[in-house]
Amino acid sequence: MAEIVMAYAAAHAPMMTADPGSAPRQQAENFFGALEKVRDVAKETDVQAIVMMTGEHFTNFFLDGLPQIAIGLDNEHLGPPEVWLQVPKKMVPSDAGLAAHITASLIEQGQQPALSYGMKIDHGFMTVYYWLDNSMELPMVPIVLNCTTPPLMTMQQFYDFGVTLGNAIRSYDGLERVGLVAGGGLSHFVGEPRVGDIDEEFDHWFLDRLATGDLSEILSMPNDELALAGNGTGELRAWVALAAAMGSAPGKVLSYEPVYEWINGMGVVLYDGDNAKVQA
Amino acid sequence: MTLYMVQRCLFDHLRRLEAAGDGPKPDIVTEGYNLTDEEKRAVTEPDIGAIYAMGAHPVIINGFCRALGYKRADYRPLLESAGVATTAKGKPRWQK
Repeated sequence: MAEIVMAYAAAHAPMMTADPGSAPRQQAENFFGALEKVRDVAKETDVQAIVMMTGEHFTNFFLDGLPQIAIGLDNEHLGPPEVWLQVPKKMVPSDAGLAAHITASLIEQGQQPALSYGMKIDHGFMTVYYWLDNSMELPMVPIVLNCTTPPLMTMQQFYDFGVTLGNAIRSYDGLERVGLVAGGGLSHFVGEPRVGDIDEEFDHWFLDRLATGDLSEILSMPNDELALAGNGTGELRAWVALAAAMGSAPGKVLSYEPVYEWINGMGVVLYDGDNAKVQA
Repeated sequence: MTLYMVQRCLFDHLRRLEAAGDGPKPDIVTEGYNLTDEEKRAVTEPDIGAIYAMGAHPVIINGFCRALGYKRADYRPLLESAGVATTAKGKPRWQK
């Protein structure tokens, strides 16, 4: 059976690859340094494939048919569509067996993910993935989440989804070492007057809770309250699902930088303890 | 006609721009969406504030503004002039 040998969540601001030099040098070094630490963990654990969650940005779906959760089921996925992202366009390999198993297992556990063939992997994936493996050879199973178009699933619902996702990965017998990655957040504002604002107080509050593993206040938060931290901040649903998959283990905050030049609270949280496995 | 069709028009335009790559940028197409005169004006002029006031999805506005070359400092003057009242109310739990 597969083990989740590494898990981390990271912000995916497009500017981190499109114009990385625009950030203050120390902030960029702290953020990218955290991603380098994650890359070292991936090498140390010899991860065979990753499963990655991020928000849907109308790259794959639009308002005529927008699933809350969709899984890419192909052997490979094309990314990124954004030519300005400064990430080479490539067919990124996946592990179709793992993707199919996750989908079937989620449905058995009561989830209702949409199926997607031909999924494209945009900046939500590629910014973070490119830093993990700039050869882009590490197989990646993509999962997109609706984080911006109401009615939205709550944090509690994404926590519950994450528990079942963790179960699904661990019950796969085709691989031994799988990584789990969440992209998105932290606080940011998109397509509205407050573009450029960052709610640093929220970001610290959120990260503090991930660091303790006590998510109760996050999970009880209504969607409209979460939106007060920014209309893009709901991408943290992926982070909550990841924490749930790891059994609410305390996360290690590797970095936090409010990078105003990138209009985004930039953070990285790494999980090296798999509570869900320990408790099983 | 409907907010959906305005957003569909913008979404299709963004996809055409993406497909054009570094080639000539296509003009926005408004035929086939059954838009009102005001909606056509807003998307062709373009009037970002009016599109925002109609209730267009922020991800669509973000993509459209990026394609037009707007920067982060442009959003507030562009969108606040639309006079849309914020729906954000109350003190969130993370504020001391």
